[in-house]
Amino acid sequence: MRFAMTRPGARRTLAVVATAGIAALTLAGCSGSDDNAGSDGDKTSIRFLYATGDETWNSAVDAIVTAFNEQSETTEVKLDPLPAGSDYATAMKTMDATGNWPAIVDMRDTVTYINAGKLAPIPTEVTSLLSDDAYGAAEDGNVYTVPYSALNGELGMNIVYNKDYFEENGLIVPETYDDFIALLDAIKANGDEPLATAAGEVWPSDQLWKPLAAPYFAEYSDEGGFWNAVVDGSASIEDLREPLQELLDITNDYVLTGWQSTADAQTTTLLVNGQAIMATSSAGLGRLNDINKVDPDFNAGMFIIPAKDGTLNVLKNSVTGDTAGGLAISAQAQEDGDEYDAAVEFLEYFYSVDGANILEEQGWLAPNITDADQVTHNTSIPGSEDFFGLLESPKLTWYQNDSSSASFSAFNTFFRQTRIEMQDGQITLDEAIEKAQTEFDKTVDSAS
Amino acid sequence: MSASLSAPARTRRRSRQIRIRWTMFGFVVPALIVYLAMVIVPSLQSIQLSFTNWDGIADDYDYVGFANYTDMLTSGRFWNAVKNTLLLGIGSAIIINAISLGMALLLDRLVHLQGLFRTAVYLPALVSAFIVATIWKYLLNYNFGFVNTFLRDVGVPDAARDWLGDSDIVVWVILFIVCFTLGGNTTLIYLANLQSVPQELLEAARIDGAGKIQVFLNVTWPMIAGGVTINVTLALIAGWTIFDQVMVLTSGGPGFVSETMAFFIYKVGFGEYRAGFGSAAAVVLFLVVLISSAATNGYMRKREIQA
Repeated sequence: MRFAMTRPGARRTLAVVATAGIAALTLAGCSGSDDNAGSDGDKTSIRFLYATGDETWNSAVDAIVTAFNEQSETTEVKLDPLPAGSDYATAMKTMDATGNWPAIVDMRDTVTYINAGKLAPIPTEVTSLLSDDAYGAAEDGNVYTVPYSALNGELGMNIVYNKDYFEENGLIVPETYDDFIALLDAIKANGDEPLATAAGEVWPSDQLWKPLAAPYFAEYSDEGGFWNAVVDGSASIEDLREPLQELLDITNDYVLTGWQSTADAQTTTLLVNGQAIMATSSAGLGRLNDINKVDPDFNAGMFIIPAKDGTLNVLKNSVTGDTAGGLAISAQAQEDGDEYDAAVEFLEYFYSVDGANILEEQGWLAPNITDADQVTHNTSIPGSEDFFGLLESPKLTWYQNDSSSASFSAFNTFFRQTRIEMQDGQITLDEAIEKAQTEFDKTVDSAS
Repeated sequence: MSASLSAPARTRRRSRQIRIRWTMFGFVVPALIVYLAMVIVPSLQSIQLSFTNWDGIADDYDYVGFANYTDMLTSGRFWNAVKNTLLLGIGSAIIINAISLGMALLLDRLVHLQGLFRTAVYLPALVSAFIVATIWKYLLNYNFGFVNTFLRDVGVPDAARDWLGDSDIVVWVILFIVCFTLGGNTTLIYLANLQSVPQELLEAARIDGAGKIQVFLNVTWPMIAGGVTINVTLALIAGWTIFDQVMVLTSGGPGFVSETMAFFIYKVGFGEYRAGFGSAAAVVLFLVVLISSAATNGYMRKREIQA
């Protein structure tokens, strides 16, 4: 101590070293050690961010990643699931805001991220494994997303029902919208709850709305879609008054109480428990698979709410645009180089025949790959004949409704919440239309 | 003593003190850098971003003046969030403090098993708000939850409600859950304050003929005034910034009905790609918290002095 007192220079040095040491330790602590990505021994470790919620999709992702990791000598994929119930798009953005962007991302709001330079182009080694109509190039000519399932559009957005109940009560699948309402009335007259639906997570509220709105959206299919028509002034939210009224009436008269706080996955339980005879769904074959897992003896069927003329209007997959989902490789992985190569290797496996068969075994519809004829489709799921039957139906009409605005996703979330407000009786139909139009003008129209 | 030191000695002492201060400052610097980088700078940047149309993703943005503020102030959704925030902030502050004070008074009088009951009261505060809210979400589920199942089983099915989906009651349900979560800490602070009230003062009051209520109002209450200030301020701040419970229980719904300011900021900033607008809302929330906390604190401190 005495020595130190006579050596101020040494003390200063000690203080500086101590400060630097503490700073280094603090900053090291802050940075943490990211053991989820990067080099892991001889293998490059990458993360795969995806939305959970649908059990079939969860098991399909888990199975294909496990199989890939077992056979790859250079890459290890680690799953980065965002749990069910969270607003995936919001959580995905939050992850981006932290700079913690995984190598492979199950995309939402795609154009926004392309414009921001967050996605890397997907190379031809991957796209060449897919049929030509399964992907599309963005405005700059690059492909940024590739599909994670078969291009069946929103065919999976339909009604699942208790087939045994239908048979016991002499009920049949409706062929027109009026038949559908008559079916709801018949079930209600039996003293049963006709329909379970969910809005606890906001997005499942589409499951009832979109089939009702489909005939109106379909009218604008050849003119670039309804939402683009609203932008150019040839349509308005007012044109959706009729389906909004139908949505309101069905909610008031036939939907099982508690829909406002019901989660999507709970509708399966409500159906299997007999608390409702039908339930809305957006998972298609996956929902039938979930029902089969919950109760293998449950006899489930599936149909699409028809239009007044009996047409089954189904939204076609968007392979470009803001609503185009699919798997993407992040620009952050591209900067790393090794992570990009690892992501490409994984996608090549995902779109191989082996990969497609693994997905199908789990009850997931594999993407449209060039070697599709070598893929064995899973028809063992009870009710799957209804799903594949819809694909063959002569009444099936595909329509398109891609918004070219990158701001559409923001409006879409608002529109969902506004519809829920209306269904819940917080606002009137007129107020809902006015509110949605004002928001559209403010966000989408002005941005366009 | 210092006057007896020679001038060179005083200089040495002064320079030693300066060196010690710089050394101490050196120890603070790492934490200060992290705090500035992680809290202060982003907070200040929020003010700048509140005047832009940044989407939160792209690198570029345009300045839009006060457009975000005018849009916000003319939005019914914003004012609904403000109303909910005020209700949850003031409501939780009043309810938590009233119940916690009562609970602390009971615990203070307990002779046996005080530790057990104190732990029981504090237990909910040990679990994160997120987990508590998740448990309540299951309990309050309309179709499968324990609460409605119990009500149906005991023969009052009409009392079963969609607790988290009924727009008339959902905010009150959230208020109840917030109070349940935050009550433990408040009770412990009151209990510590009560146990530090000098026994001789209480005894003197009783000898002078004061009843229980008079003793409480004239002796105990003034003596725990500091605790009241801390608890009310903390409860208000916790109420203004409620997020976890809303996120888990209702996601702001049904519709927008249970959105709070903090949730509104998150939703528009992250979910709707309007980071500039969200920043403007964050600035407003910051001002609300600052002004209300300062006003409350000022009033309570004044009351302490008078006491």
